[in-house]
Amino acid sequence: MVQYRTQVRIIADVLSTARDMNTEGNGVGVTTLLRKGNMSYTRMSKLLSELVGSGLLLELNGEKVSKYMISEKGTRYLSVYHQFEDFAQSFGLRL
Amino acid sequence: MIGDVLQFIGVFVSFSIAYVGFRGVRQTHSSSLLRLTAAFVFLGFGFAVEGFVGLSQVIPNLPFSTMTVVAGLLLETTGYFFLAFSHAIDVVISKRMSVALLIFPVISLSGAQLVDILSVLSFYFVLYGVLETVYSYARTRRPDTLLIAAGLTLIGVGTFVQWLSLLYLNVDVLSLLQIIMKEIGLLILFTPVLNFAVGGVRLDGTV
Repeated sequence: MVQYRTQVRIIADVLSTARDMNTEGNGVGVTTLLRKGNMSYTRMSKLLSELVGSGLLLELNGEKVSKYMISEKGTRYLSVYHQFEDFAQSFGLRL
Repeated sequence: MIGDVLQFIGVFVSFSIAYVGFRGVRQTHSSSLLRLTAAFVFLGFGFAVEGFVGLSQVIPNLPFSTMTVVAGLLLETTGYFFLAFSHAIDVVISKRMSVALLIFPVISLSGAQLVDILSVLSFYFVLYGVLETVYSYARTRRPDTLLIAAGLTLIGVGTFVQWLSLLYLNVDVLSLLQIIMKEIGLLILFTPVLNFAVGGVRLDGTV
């Protein structure tokens, strides 16, 4: 059976990775997000700029590459997402 | 009279679920929650119309015709359709299953009256919802999903009894029985709303 991830789910996955993989506190690179997010570079770049634009992710400009960190708004979004995911799963649905 | 009052419990439960679903749509922009919300909005209005139609038999001044009964049932059936539809586009294999299930009632209903058709369609939609929810439980093993499947089963049996009550008009108990079964089923569906309110997110969607 094939199960497609919805856009909402993809956003939640990217935010979760940015939160969980940021162990040193200096952000997560695109490579890590790509590996965990399982999507193309083009699509990930577009999504990252959208997430930064909406304030869910913070972009940390390094010397060579940009790194990303989940914002407070992003953490709040994830928390609410998991609550509603729980609600939807009760009805046998996926967000 | 008791049955008509019970319809309004259905209105309350349906709109409560729709309200939480709508908050979810606003917070997460999820299409699954949008379909779930649509389902319970239609169900809520359907139960409301059916409740008022029932009350019109007790309060003679309320002007309701046979078409109002059909409109109530149509709203309810549309609600069940959206409930089934929420599952139907969830996974690829379900698309094929849903087409088979959605065509089947049309084939089996030639010559039936409109009210009968709506009742049978409702039954098939709920049945499909039950199958998908049980399937979802098999994947996730979440006890509350099993509870929802039980609630939907009761609603499904209720819609079947509703259809029987239209065939056997002289058996009064069938009409009351179908409402009681559907209301108990709906009250079971209310469980996730209670969990949601208790679980740390307020009904306005904030943490």
